Amino acid sequence: MNLSLHPILVLLIFPGGLFLLASGLIYQWADRKLIARFQNRVGPRFIQPLADTVKLLAKEEIIPTGVHKGLFLVLPVIALAAALTAGLYVPMFGFQPASSFRGDLIVALYALSVLTLTMGLAGANTISRFSLIGATRTLTQLFSYEAPFLLTLLGPAIAAGTWQISKINDYAGQNIWLMIAQPIGFAVSLIGLMGKLELPPFDAPEAETEIVAGAMTEYSGRGYALFRLGKDVELVIGLTLVATFYLGGLANPLQFVIKTLALLLVLALLQTAFARLRIDQTVGFWWRAGALLAVVQLIAILLGRYFTTVF
Amino acid sequence: MPIGTMMSDLVRSLFKKPATELYPYVKKPAPARLRGKLTWNPEKCTGCQLCIKDCPSNAIDLVTIDKAAKQFVMRYHIDHCIYCAQCVVSCRFGCLALSNVDWELAIGNKEPLGIFYGKEENIARLMEQIANPGVEQPATPE
Amino acid sequence: MSADTNKFVIPIGPQHPALKEPANFEFWVDGETVTGASVRLGYVHRGIEKGAEARTWVQNLYLMERICGICSHVHATAYTLGVEKLAGVEAPPRAQAIRQIMGELERIHSHMLWLGVAAHEGGFDSLFMYSWRDRETVMDLLEKISGNKVHYSANLLGGVKFDITPELAAEIHKGLEFLDERNRFYLKVVNQDETFIGRPRGIGTMTAERANFLGAIGPTARASGVAHDIRVDAPYLKYSEFPIKVETHTSGDLHGRFIVRINETFESIRVIREILDHLPPGELTARMPRRIPAGEAISRVEAPRGELLYFVASNGSDKPERVKVRTPSLCNWSTVLSLAIGLKLADMPMLLTGIDPCFSCNDRSVSVKRGTQDSSMWSWEKLRHYGIEYYR
Repeated sequence: MNLSLHPILVLLIFPGGLFLLASGLIYQWADRKLIARFQNRVGPRFIQPLADTVKLLAKEEIIPTGVHKGLFLVLPVIALAAALTAGLYVPMFGFQPASSFRGDLIVALYALSVLTLTMGLAGANTISRFSLIGATRTLTQLFSYEAPFLLTLLGPAIAAGTWQISKINDYAGQNIWLMIAQPIGFAVSLIGLMGKLELPPFDAPEAETEIVAGAMTEYSGRGYALFRLGKDVELVIGLTLVATFYLGGLANPLQFVIKTLALLLVLALLQTAFARLRIDQTVGFWWRAGALLAVVQLIAILLGRYFTTVF
Repeated sequence: MPIGTMMSDLVRSLFKKPATELYPYVKKPAPARLRGKLTWNPEKCTGCQLCIKDCPSNAIDLVTIDKAAKQFVMRYHIDHCIYCAQCVVSCRFGCLALSNVDWELAIGNKEPLGIFYGKEENIARLMEQIANPGVEQPATPE
Repeated sequence: MSADTNKFVIPIGPQHPALKEPANFEFWVDGETVTGASVRLGYVHRGIEKGAEARTWVQNLYLMERICGICSHVHATAYTLGVEKLAGVEAPPRAQAIRQIMGELERIHSHMLWLGVAAHEGGFDSLFMYSWRDRETVMDLLEKISGNKVHYSANLLGGVKFDITPELAAEIHKGLEFLDERNRFYLKVVNQDETFIGRPRGIGTMTAERANFLGAIGPTARASGVAHDIRVDAPYLKYSEFPIKVETHTSGDLHGRFIVRINETFESIRVIREILDHLPPGELTARMPRRIPAGEAISRVEAPRGELLYFVASNGSDKPERVKVRTPSLCNWSTVLSLAIGLKLADMPMLLTGIDPCFSCNDRSVSVKRGTQDSSMWSWEKLRHYGIEYYR
């Protein structure tokens, strides 16, 4: 669907900016509620993530000694900005992306990686032991899931013959769902999404029982609120990307809501079903199983295209 | 290599009611033996004070109004009591009991936490004495 | 961070999400590998042994019960057994059977609680939530019997406070059936789920000789094949009439400790069913004097964490001379410190939880006599004065 709004409005209100932040909060609520229901609990009320954010913004921001003060204050802003920027290129809420050009798939993925990098940098900035270990784990995990995840997003791009997300969206909407045509790619992309979002079982970088809060340990108040908002927005954008590529594209708001929520349901189930993997187990898993499967899928796609062009 | 062995439980829980009881909207009835607030029946009390000797946390005092006529007033500190029921066992005449309906005892300040048990006229007399300390007082409490 | 080497110190505690109670652990790490460990305890010292000297025997029963929340009944039982030994009184058989039932129910409760906590440390929150939901069943049973979910206050000097009626026995049977079925499910999960087994398997492996050398007791040692259990070695209450089977495992690692504790839960369920079917008739209390004759007594019981030892000394009055408590968690710390070396940092919380630490039980005063020093007696005033001066 096409939406013709002034770019400033798109950037600030809808479907980027405030709307993106609000949908981030709503998806965080849905995630927490689903996990709670899987665990036979009640779960938070609808207004909980908003209440959390408001409370965090109202708290004092404590700057620990030994940090680079400018970096400490600016990193959360960069994180949120990167996440919001990535929202400009995906079909947010079923409308055409606000800005679309050739190769914007790479830009969107890069923006999401900037988010993870800033969290790692934020952890390395302080001298707290827990933050340093958390930063190390964040960056280690970044290096391990990035390759397979990118490869799986590459699969639909090759099938569509373009690197432009809006064109991939159109292609996916017109052909058979890529979830069926590239099942291995779909599975790896789903697991890759969990690695990117640092959801359990890949939440070693912020393992609460081992290193308090990982890279986020020293953050409080506004900085922490911005980081959390960034992660929520990343959740929405990640779900949108996987739904666009593998679940037959997003043509209108209704499809957006249904497909992303269905993905969220599966994601919540996977989150509750497994124990946390240690960081070395995570790296081992990704570089063996993940990369191998992604490469296998890629070869299958290339062979498929070769045979269809030959015959 | 089985993974996700809890999957069936997890999926089933999605369709069941949560196991949480939404207190205070839902209140389960307390079991019959619940050890709640102490209650004292002054009829049979002989003033032997075994209960007070045995209390681990000095939660009860006995104020003697008239020893010969066995008129006593018991002062009970809810905030000191540990609800162990030792006093109930120590009393040979069955004057003490722990309620199983009065157990929601949380309160915002300490005002109502010292309760006096006894006959109306005895408590009234005690209150008068506390209000006017100069007036003649009978035997002092423990 | 030490400047000379690449290693630095990770403090776990006194405040840390991994610990439920305060203690200070310091791990020297090199990357993610632990190269050294040390511990400082004493954050929960409350002066209970000193307080026991100022209260009468009856009041102390409730003080000792509150040393720990999860093993409260065992503490009270050990105390009453010691005092009854001094007074030469034996509780009637029905009281002893009821004490045993409460003790085994408490053991089930403690092991299910531990299962949830250990799963949480390993990141498996679903197992944590489910095992704690099912633990509510055993807590409800204990509340129906005794009137409280924690600190049951079942014991009296000379017997127990309440009886188990046939209706109550029927409810206990029903609850035990549910617990049995759920625990079989958890045993299956612990044994089969690969994502979960990867965490405790091979961590903290201890041979039987090493366990004996380090002085480990309880399920921690039984997982290494050391078959010590006070309920079998020195039976108390009615354990000679309703015996239990000692559960051991050969692997000696963290996974073995999981299996031992869940198997112990099954044993407890079986014993409770047996006692309920053959509950001896009789009265509930025996007459106990107010002044306990002078003497010393030692009582040992099997807490969910291992052997609990009580030393009770009386000087003939109605207040004890000395009550000394040695709790099982104290013996298991050395295993953590020596097994931590070479493991990854991520395994530390699970290793700590593996011994089922109960810090509140731990912090009693220990006097260490070095060979050359004279032992001297310090009066209460002198100790207080020393403490004030030390921090000035």
